[in-house]
Amino acid sequence: MKYVGKKLLTMILTLFAVTLFVFLAFHVISGDPATSMLGTEATPARISALREELGLNDPVLVQYGRWAVNFLKGDMGTSYSYRMPVGDMVSDKIPVTMTLTILAFFMMVIIAIPLGIYTARHAGGVVDRTIYIINQVIMAVPPFFSGILITLLFGRIFKLFTPGAYVSYEKDFLGFVGYLLFPALAIALPKAAMAVKLLRSSVIGESKLDYVRTAYSRGNRTRDVLYLHVLKNALIPVVTFLGMALADMIAGSIIIEQVFSIPGLGRILLTSISNRDYPVVLAVIVCIAVLVLVVNMVVDLIYGLIDPRISVE
Amino acid sequence: MKRKGLKSLLLVFVLTTLAIALSACSGDKKAENSSQITIGIPQDLEDSLDPHKAVAAGTKEVLFNLFEGLVKPASDGSFIPAVASAYEETEGGRIYTFTLRDGVKFHDGSMVTAEDVKFSLDKCADASAGEPLVAAFSNIESITIEDEKTIVVTLKEADTEFLAYMTTAIIPASNEDPDTNPIGTGPYKYVSRSPQENFIVEKFDEYWGEPANIENVTFKICSNADSIVMDLEGGSIDMFARVTATQAEELSDQFDILEGTMNLVQALYLNNAETPFDDVKVRQALCYAIDPAEIMLMVSDGKGTELGSSMFPSFSKYYMEELNDTYNQDIEKAKELLKEAGYEDGFSFTITVPSNYQPHIDTAQVLVEEFKAIGVDAEIQLIEWDSWLSDVYQNRQFQSTVVGVDASNLTAAAMLQRFTSDSSKNFINFSNEDYDVAFDKAISSTDDKEKTEYYKECERILSEDAANVYIQDLPEFVALNKKYTGYEFYPLYVQDIAKLKLAE
Amino acid sequence: MHDKKRKNYNLMVGGIITGLMLFFILVGIFYTPYDPNGMDATAKFAGISFKHPMGCDNFGRDVLSRVMKGAGTTLGVAAGTVFIGTFFGVIVGAVTGYFGGILDEILMRVNDAIFAFPSILLALVFISLLGSGTYQVVIALGIAFIPSFARIVRSEFIKYKNMDYIKNARLQGAWHLRIMFVHILPNTFTVLMSAIMIGFNNAVLAEAGMSFLGIGVQPPQASLGRMLSEAQSYLFRAPAYAIFPGVVIILMVLGFSLLGDALKREE
Repeated sequence: MKYVGKKLLTMILTLFAVTLFVFLAFHVISGDPATSMLGTEATPARISALREELGLNDPVLVQYGRWAVNFLKGDMGTSYSYRMPVGDMVSDKIPVTMTLTILAFFMMVIIAIPLGIYTARHAGGVVDRTIYIINQVIMAVPPFFSGILITLLFGRIFKLFTPGAYVSYEKDFLGFVGYLLFPALAIALPKAAMAVKLLRSSVIGESKLDYVRTAYSRGNRTRDVLYLHVLKNALIPVVTFLGMALADMIAGSIIIEQVFSIPGLGRILLTSISNRDYPVVLAVIVCIAVLVLVVNMVVDLIYGLIDPRISVE
Repeated sequence: MKRKGLKSLLLVFVLTTLAIALSACSGDKKAENSSQITIGIPQDLEDSLDPHKAVAAGTKEVLFNLFEGLVKPASDGSFIPAVASAYEETEGGRIYTFTLRDGVKFHDGSMVTAEDVKFSLDKCADASAGEPLVAAFSNIESITIEDEKTIVVTLKEADTEFLAYMTTAIIPASNEDPDTNPIGTGPYKYVSRSPQENFIVEKFDEYWGEPANIENVTFKICSNADSIVMDLEGGSIDMFARVTATQAEELSDQFDILEGTMNLVQALYLNNAETPFDDVKVRQALCYAIDPAEIMLMVSDGKGTELGSSMFPSFSKYYMEELNDTYNQDIEKAKELLKEAGYEDGFSFTITVPSNYQPHIDTAQVLVEEFKAIGVDAEIQLIEWDSWLSDVYQNRQFQSTVVGVDASNLTAAAMLQRFTSDSSKNFINFSNEDYDVAFDKAISSTDDKEKTEYYKECERILSEDAANVYIQDLPEFVALNKKYTGYEFYPLYVQDIAKLKLAE
Repeated sequence: MHDKKRKNYNLMVGGIITGLMLFFILVGIFYTPYDPNGMDATAKFAGISFKHPMGCDNFGRDVLSRVMKGAGTTLGVAAGTVFIGTFFGVIVGAVTGYFGGILDEILMRVNDAIFAFPSILLALVFISLLGSGTYQVVIALGIAFIPSFARIVRSEFIKYKNMDYIKNARLQGAWHLRIMFVHILPNTFTVLMSAIMIGFNNAVLAEAGMSFLGIGVQPPQASLGRMLSEAQSYLFRAPAYAIFPGVVIILMVLGFSLLGDALKREE
């Protein structure tokens, strides 16, 4: 419990730092909400009037303070571009990104764990080598390009899904999940490739250790040794990786959402950055950061469960 | 052991198949609703939905279907009465009298009253925030309600083109939240929106005029330009208004490709206040260096319309085709002009290009190559649209930029006013006394023929003074599923959905 | 047993691929068959031929010449990024891991903050501060890469700092710096090496991603990522335009990964 408390405290500090950085970042980059809202209709007089109205003429720290106080009160403000409450906008999009990430995560686990164990058991074999090469190729394809390839392959040639036919989860949940399967695959594949590689070397490394040899010499059958001892220990670095991968997927779904036209947090983040709509940017970042930090915390706790030797402080 | 490994492989296979099967079931669930259409748009309406405050071209072209002014533009560039049933222009264009149409309703079911009209116009004329929302409304002296069916707009100075601004949307005074809840009098009414997903409208049954044909319309945001062909072919969208020449070619015969123009002036806009572009000879040299035909060939397979000044062919009354020949590619002449200007060894400069529109980036790349021939070294710098708005458009801190400039309404002034030396929209810092005089005369003239002549004089000056390196009006390819027909091009940047109908 | 053989095999194949790639890039610095930016309207989307072994792009530019130059740009960006990431990552990770305490806590929180910070916004900040261009891309990506390296090095340092031989060294009066960089750092080689390989891979992908979002290498300069993202629009019309840059990216990453796997120490 002390651990959780401490983690929560550092989490709050981190969020504080991140949001402050974002505020400063928007101050540095060119363009501001007023010019963005007025577009090509802007004239100096209208810009300065609008800046005044939005409170953009105040010092950055004052603006930050105002935002932070409102945020803590539960008011995330109003989007500059959409003129709607940020809270509604963001809470609407969280399920989309979460579903996408969870799907991708399960796909990764389903693909990576069996393949990792298989290649470790058959290290040096033809299958192992083939998978090694396939892994490397998958890791080397930029995500935006694998997205278009998946669309092309499964959407246009095999006609397994209709490109661009995203439906909202509120309207048709199954259809929603169905559409997200292939984007999730695009996210999962490169991570799975890495996980296979890691699990393979982890299992091989572990099975060379003394205790495994002892287990063998006690007359244990290979299968039991593998599953009981080796796997349990070999999984520790993999769990760390999976945790990091999950965090990565939440933060890294931006490009895949763009490629597959999925209206999730990533899309909102991207367009809000370019619209200089920072109440939205801040809210999305806080959401993503909280999700990432919670995942990290859970991973640490699972760590302790798998291997009691590692106590969480 | 081996079998166990195989088993897990098998498991993966089964699960993947399952996943695929699941998605296949939900894949083509779109019902064949007889009167519905999904239109792909490249950008969301990240904007106010208040027609007076919306600024993005992408927002305005959608809102066109929701709102109407006292008059509205027709596809031939004329004005047809809308909320007003008739209008009268007196005192040489100083007083405009509008008779309101009977039985025009807002989308919320309430009747349009003279108060609503006055409220809408007053809102746009209000100068308390520095300037009125519609700049031309600063010329309004008064807006009065004569009786419950008559509105009189009196101007400070006569302006025979003022009708063009009366397309300003009429909105109900009672709407408390126009930014997110658009209520107008157009053939379609707002249903819902989901950021970055879609914008949904439906037919307004109590529309005063010819009703729309298609019941439900969904504008769907297609964030990935490279999958538009697949989206169209797969059936998730039925129409996309601005596909590229390449995409148009790739689409199957299931689609009609309608070709029009974008109604904008694409040019290498030069900051006339920056050296070396403050020297007319340098600007002319750049004009001689380029070949619009080559650019069109590279960028859009040869489609497009060459331009020689800040006016496009859809404004046929003002367009001057002969200005395309003010400069024809002539490398020797360009070099000579550079020499006269003292840049015998060439010079280098930066072309700032908004990163969100590929045709402009491609055009810039061709320009860089063309300038090499005259010894001028140009470097491209991509910039986000919002940075462009503030750095280039507002602060005018740039050397040159490739963009398309369009007209916000159907007047020649919409294109030409920005180049008067004191205009706040004169982002290229163009300054020419003759131009200012000619423009003033055009504005104040009440004789249509004379007015047109002065506007043409302005265009000529822009061309001869080489204000910018004029290139083309980009081609517009509308991809429309053959299930639908009736698309109409406008001389403005709008999409008129009400005219679309199901093909027989 | 299998593994040793495999490592030699990896070394050989990885070495050949990387060697060829470097040769290809090196030649590209001094000689390309055509001007990589030179346009030719008549060769627009020209197919594979003797004149243009990889065909031409939408401007009629020779894809082979552009791939030669572009591979160089991409390699430069990736190498620069990994260098910055590793250099500062090792310093930060070593100091925080070795000394621990409040400094560790602060730096790790900053690390977390950077990790949670959207990399696109970070890139935009750098572009605003430094202007856009290839070097700026390297710096922006490099900084974004520091936290992950720091994290890995830190955990290695924590692992080793309490080992007996380190304690001995300390008792013998060795300086902290010496312990950190002479006694501990070499032990982290294996882990660091694989982190560098993954980092290299990610840097190549990140460069491509930035080009896709229009904030990477500026046109008309060629980079593999930029070419790939431009080729996407012509996937049906000129598939070769996408295939060749794609294959070169894959080979480049593959070669380095094989080498990296081979160079790892026997455990």
